[in-house]
Formats: sequence, structure tokens, C-alpha cells
Amino acid sequence: MLALLELARAHAPLIIIAAPLLGAALCFATPSARATWAVGCVAALVSAVFGVDMIARVAAGAVQPHADEGAPLRLDGVALFAAPLLSVSSVLVFISAAARARTEWGPRAAPFAMALLCAALGGWQAALFANDVAVLILAVETAWLAMAGLIALSARTDRGALSGALRMLMAGGVGAASALLGAGFLHRSIGALDFAALIGAEIATPALASVGVGLIIMAFALKALIAPLHLWSGAAFGRAGGLAALAMGAIGAIGAMAALARIALAALSAPAIADGVAAALAALGALSVVIGSVQAIGARSIKRLVAYATAAQAGCVLMSLALGSPAGVAASLLQMFAQTAAALALLGGAATLGGASSLTALDGLARRAPLASAAMSIGALSLMGAPLTIGFLGRWRLLEAGLGAGWAWTAAAAIFASLAAVFFGGRLIERLYFRRATTTVHQSRDPWRAALAPALIAAIAAIAWGLEPSWLLRSAETASHLGAAP
Amino acid sequence: MSNELALMIALAAPALGAVLVTLLSKPPGLRDVIHIGFALITAGATLFLMVAVAGGGSARIALARPLPHVELAFSIEPLGALMATVSAVLSALHAFHTAAVVRAEGERAPARMMAGVSLASMGAIGVAFSANLFSFFVAYQALILATFPLVAHVDDESSRRAARNYLATLLAASIGLLLPAMVWTYALAGALDFRPGGLLGGRVDTLSANVLLALYVFGLAMLATPPLHRWLTISTGAPYPALVSIQALAVVPAGAVGLLKISAYVFGPALHEATIVSRGLLVLVGIAMCAAALIALSKQDLRERLAYSVMTQSMAVALGALLALPAGLFAATLQMVALMSAASTLMMVAGSVHAATGRRDAASYAGLGRLMPWTFAAFALGSASMVGMPPFSGAWAKLWLITAAADAGLVWAAVLAGIAAVLTFAHLGPLAASALAVRAPEDPFKRPDGAPIMLVAPVVLSGAATLLLLVFADPLSRFLAPLWSAP
Repeated sequence: MLALLELARAHAPLIIIAAPLLGAALCFATPSARATWAVGCVAALVSAVFGVDMIARVAAGAVQPHADEGAPLRLDGVALFAAPLLSVSSVLVFISAAARARTEWGPRAAPFAMALLCAALGGWQAALFANDVAVLILAVETAWLAMAGLIALSARTDRGALSGALRMLMAGGVGAASALLGAGFLHRSIGALDFAALIGAEIATPALASVGVGLIIMAFALKALIAPLHLWSGAAFGRAGGLAALAMGAIGAIGAMAALARIALAALSAPAIADGVAAALAALGALSVVIGSVQAIGARSIKRLVAYATAAQAGCVLMSLALGSPAGVAASLLQMFAQTAAALALLGGAATLGGASSLTALDGLARRAPLASAAMSIGALSLMGAPLTIGFLGRWRLLEAGLGAGWAWTAAAAIFASLAAVFFGGRLIERLYFRRATTTVHQSRDPWRAALAPALIAAIAAIAWGLEPSWLLRSAETASHLGAAP
Repeated sequence: MSNELALMIALAAPALGAVLVTLLSKPPGLRDVIHIGFALITAGATLFLMVAVAGGGSARIALARPLPHVELAFSIEPLGALMATVSAVLSALHAFHTAAVVRAEGERAPARMMAGVSLASMGAIGVAFSANLFSFFVAYQALILATFPLVAHVDDESSRRAARNYLATLLAASIGLLLPAMVWTYALAGALDFRPGGLLGGRVDTLSANVLLALYVFGLAMLATPPLHRWLTISTGAPYPALVSIQALAVVPAGAVGLLKISAYVFGPALHEATIVSRGLLVLVGIAMCAAALIALSKQDLRERLAYSVMTQSMAVALGALLALPAGLFAATLQMVALMSAASTLMMVAGSVHAATGRRDAASYAGLGRLMPWTFAAFALGSASMVGMPPFSGAWAKLWLITAAADAGLVWAAVLAGIAAVLTFAHLGPLAASALAVRAPEDPFKRPDGAPIMLVAPVVLSGAATLLLLVFADPLSRFLAPLWSAP
């Protein structure tokens, strides 16, 4: 038994991918909503356990990271950090689904939704461990289609979700075409598509390689909500059901950011194209920070607010990656973690509002739903970068890395993001605590508070890891030194 | 009791008091006893710590370690102990006064206001005892968030607008300016600890020092340095007990002690590298000092007049801190103590007068001193201290300030300080004089028994505190000596 366990631990990346994909297959074959929920939970849990074990052992120096021989998998720094993060987020989303899946998707569609959720997780995990760019693109598209299906299933409660899903599909199609074209250019330039060939490659035609990498980065940036390529996100998030939006924010966006980080780091380690890629990432990141922040200030629904705030945060992640240093990579990973916690807290708390998502529905919510309000407030504080939250740590690391590299303008952009977050986060907190209720909100019966659990767990994690982040910092630093190469 | 335990009590007692006041808000007597009791406990703890520091004792507690080489830590040292003690002792008097005001005024949500005042006190003490820039930043942010509901307490549209402006200005300045300055300091020095002799000594070039100084001074918007001073003047719609916290005991003093700590413990002698910006800031605060005193003359509402008067004194603190001399630091520290005692006296008097008579305008104060002699005696003491008339505490502070400015070769700064003192007399002197000299108005009181003892005694004691520097000026100079000497 122990030997089997050790064997499984040694092949953790394979299990992290296979468990949710197997779960998806089982869910498709099972008509019962409860049974598929249980299958999905188990699949996500297995993926999470192996993921956390993997990073804990590598961070402790117990094992050296390596790719499985014979399998098209590659374990780099981003995968090491992001894979457990995605799996744990998925577990929390499944917990939330316990109370809301039947309400949101209906008893007949709920099994399909569970299957799509598992497929999305499996797709993003496969993207994180893919050995070459082609598999990476395939995995990303698989996950994207699953997420679009999840949004579409929300049409039961809001027909507008179909419009959001359609926009996702159209954007995804453009992204897929762009990525494939980019992969073609890259293959033409360096003769291969695997990461090992790209890293440190002596590229004879850097212009072609740059265009290829650029197209792939743009494709993934579109999926990672990087502004101004995120035009699909307003409709998709805004009209999606609570659970679908939660899955998009906590799994989809983070998975896409992590996939983008992988390709970006690989390109940054190729000397011939590194400077151009860094400049492009930095410019795109700064633009995303500004546009996302401004849009978040004007957002009228909590889901759109989170979508645009994610765009701003994704911009910070891009700027961190552009620095090209281990400090920058660590900062980007910490910010992904912070964004996940904030998205879970905000969207998880908002999911308890029933179908209401307008900001006015939050007025005076602190009196009616104190726990949900507390979770959302902590999520907002983390987005602001308030001290003693995990968001502060991510922001601090970016400022430190940027100033250390002499890129003072990245510090200015990060400060702008924080100031904008103070504005829209502060307005959200003001509504929760300092206004009287103006609308009647139907809160679903949920005696076990399952829908609220992810939000509370994420909020507690945001504070706990803000107070004592040593393990998280160690993990991020280990992953950053791994970088693009195992 | 160990020093560490006393430090924990000083930090935790106000928070615990706030929680209990909220939970046990009825009956009103219990609420008041809790509020006053915890204020007294806090004052006792800070007095204990001040004695410990005077005796060479030390204490440090670390609550968390959010970054490498950076802890959320609090420690005792002379400057922080002085500010915390003055704040806590005056807050204890203020607690008595608050209990009386909320009853006399029939204040809405008194428990919520008392809790806010207690949390503000906790924030101020946290700022005073912060062991490094990170802890200072955390306590500073906590103070902003704790006092924001106080500004919005009246809960009408104008108070909510004022509160949003208050929050936006202070948060934006701290995140947009103070935080980058902290990160930059960390990048230069590898740590954020407050060190006698300066953290940046020998580690900062001229350009960095100048930019850092500007970021720190404007980042500390609680100091009300223009153009980030509007939060002070538009928050005057808050209830009187809240205004005492904001202007006299917590918010403005937090900005003042922050600048002092940064001048002494972060820059130290490296402040001389930032000559360009420090000279520019000296001009700015000198002009602001005079302008605020002048604007105060035009304000009839006493709350607004006192807000601008407090701004004048706050600029005097900044003037002393920016002189980059030990004498300047000492003058600024004395000025901060004088500001706290005088401003709290004056604002409590304004609260007592409004509670007893319903009067708010300066013109309506004429003759009230004949009917409320003790109250207006305290007002006269506080005004004299604000002006800088001997033998009150403000006089020693102004004397040292002018001397330090002259020693630094900045005679014009000394002249500006003198002009500001004259203008302060212009907006406070006639007010005190007319209150005491003019014939008393007929039937001014809202209640037949006039002003109860709890409205009068705290202001008298607070006014008497403005005389204390007469006695303690020399011992304070020895007590504060570590502020400007390297270890």
C-alpha cells in the first residue's frame, strides 16, 4: 500500500491531470446530480492532495522536480505552484456547488455542469504540465470550451448567459487561431515546439519567433482577462450564474494566467527574443492595470467588478513576469494566489445573494448576512493590498522587484491598481456596512452554509497567509528559481 | 507587571473596551463605566511604560512576520512612550467628557461613537509604539479605518460625503505615497526598523533622499500638509467627541509622531542629503502655518476655526522636524505635546459649551465665560498655549522652534513661526477675552442646572495640563535625548 502511494506521489503530475479528467468522464455517464457532485469533489480532492504534497515535498527539498519519462509532461516552477492552487480552488468551488448546483443549473443539467467543471480543471492542469506548445494550446482550448459550456448552462436562470457563452466561444476561436498560427511560426523558426527546445534556444530568425510567441501570448492573454483583450468578460461574468462566475474567476482566469506565465517565461529565457517579449509583456501589463482598474471603478455588478479587477491584477502579474528575475516570478505567483483568494471571497460571498448581483443588492448586507459581508470585505481589502492580507504581500513583492530592477514605472502602475482598488473596494465595503438595504434579496436556504464556505475559507486564508506567509513565500521562491526549466 | 505585559495592555485595552462597549451598550451607565474604565486602564499602562523607559527599561513584542526581516512589532522608546502617554491620559479625561456629552446632547448611537473613539486611541498608541515602518503603516491604516465611521457618524449626506473624502485622501496618500516610500526604504536598507541614528545613514544618495522625503511627508496626510489638508477641514461636521479624537488625540498626533519617527529613526543625519526638498517643504509648511491661522480668523463656526488652528500647530511640528537638527526635533516634540493638550482642551470646551447652551459660533460665545468660569478659564489656558504665551506649554515649544530655526540659519522660518503665533492670537485671543469680559447673556443654558461637573472637570484638568511643560521641559530634554543620538 505504501509502495503504491509512493509510486503515485512520484507521478503526481499525471494524477493531478488524470483525476479530474476521469471525474469528468464519470460525471458524463452519471445522471444523478448528487452522485456527480460527489465524483467531482473526489476528483478535485485527489488532484488537490497530490498537488499540495508535490509542492510541499519540493519546497522542503525532499525531492527534486522532474518530468515523467515517456509522458508528455513537464514540471516547471509555474506548474509546481499553480497546479495545487487550481486544485484547491476547485475543491472549494465544488463545496459551494453542494448548495447551489441544482438551483443554478437544474437537476437535469447539474451532472453536465459537474462534468464540465472537472473537464475545465483537467484541461488547465494539462496546460500547466504540457511538455510542448501544441499540447499546451490543446489543453487550454479544452478548458476554455468547458468553461464556455458552464456559462451557457446558466441560461436556465438568465438567458443572457447564452450571449456571454457565445462571446467566450468567439473570443476563444480567435484566440485558438492566433495561438495555432503562432505555434506554426514558432515551429518554423526553431524547428520544434517543445519547451526544452525554446528555452535558451539560439534562434536564427528571431523576428519570426517573436511574432509566433507574441501571437501565442496574445491568445492566452485574451483568456486570462488581460485588457484590452478581455471584451468578452463583461457579458460572460455579468450574466453567468453565481457558481459559473465563481468557477471562471477562481479557476478559469487563474489557469489562463498560469498558462500565459509558462509560455512567457520560456520565451524570456531565449536570449534572441527575450528583450522584445519583456517589453511587450510590460506594456500589455501596464495597459491592463489601467483599463481594468478604470472599468472596475465603473462596474455596477459584483461579478463584473471582479472580472475587471482580475484584469487589473492580471496586468500586475504580467509586469512581474516581464521583470524576468526570480523575484519577479515569485511576485507573479504570489499575486495569482492573492487573486484566487480575493475572487473566491468576493464571488463566493456574492453567490449567497441568490440571483442578485447588482451592487445595490449589497446595501446593508452586513446586517442580514454578516459572514458573507465579512468574507467579501476581506476579499476587497486583499485587492486593495491592505496590510496583513495576502494581497499586500503580492503587491509588496512586485514593488520590491520593480524598484530593485530599476523599473520604477511598474511600481507606479501597481500603486495605481491599489488606489483604484481602494476606490471600488472601499465603495463595496461602504455599501455593505454603512448603507441601508434598498432591495429585497432572496437568500437561498442553506443550513450547512456550504455556499458560503469557500468564501469564508478564502477570507481566512487571505488573512492567515498575510500574517504568516513563510511557507507560501518559500514555495513561491522555490518555484521562481525553477522558473521555466525544471 | 512586566514591560511586555504593560505594552500588550496598552495596545489591547482600547480594542477590548470598544468591543465591550458595543456589546454592553445598555444600560447607559454600564456603557459609560466600561468606556471610562478601559481608558483609565490604557492610561495606567502607558504611564507605567513611560516610567519604564525613563528608567532605561525596554520591551518589544512581535505579533507576526509577514515579510523576511520585517515583523509586525511594537516596542517602547522615548518618543513613542511620550506620545502614547499624553494621548492616553488625555483620552481618559476625554472619556469622562464623552460620557457627559452624549447624555447632554442625546447623541445617536453613543456606543458606536465610543467604540470608534476607543479604536482611534488604539490606533494612535499603535502608531506611537510601532517598532518599524511596517508596524507604523499597519497602525496608521487601522487608525484611518477606525476614525472613518466617526466622521460619518451623523449619517446625513454631507457627513457621508465628508467621510468619503476623509477616507479617500488619507488612504490614497498612504497607499500612493507612504507605501512606495516604505518599499524603497526596504530596498535601500534591507530592513524597516526604527533605529536611533537613522536607518538610511550612508545608504541613500541625494536624489533618493529628496524623493523619499517628499513621499514620506505627503504620504503622512494626517499631518494635514497642503494640498492634502482638506480632510481636516471638512470633517468638522462630526460630533464633538469624535473631533477631539481626530484633531487632538489620535489622527493629527499620529501624523506628527510619524514624521518625527521618520526624521529621527529613518533618515537621521541622512536628512541633510535631502536639503532641496526639505527647504522646499519648510517654505510650504511655513506659509501653510500662516495661511491656516489667517483662514481661521474668517471662520465663525468654532469647529472650523479650531480645525485651522490645529493645522497651524501641526505645521509647526513639521517645521521643527524638517530642520534636521536635534533642537528642531526636540522643538517639534514639545510642539506635538502642546498641540495635543491645547487642542483637546479647546475642542472639549467647544463640546461642553454646545452641550450646555447649544451655541456653536464664535460670536455667540461672548459673555459665556461669566456663566461658565471654569470652562472658559480652561479655554483661556488652551488658547494661550496654542498662541505660545508663557508660561504655557506652547510657549516653550515655540521658543525652541524659533531658536532651532535661527540656529539652522533659517531666520525666515523663525519669522514665519512668529507671524503664525500672532495670527493664532488674533483668532483665539479675542474669543477668550470676549467670553470672559463681556456681559453675560440671559438664559443661555439648555438645561436649568447648567453644565454638569463631568462637562467641566475634564476640560479644567486638560487645561491645567498645558502648564505641565513649564515643569517638565528640562527632564523631557534628557528623556528624549536618545532621539537624536546614534547608539
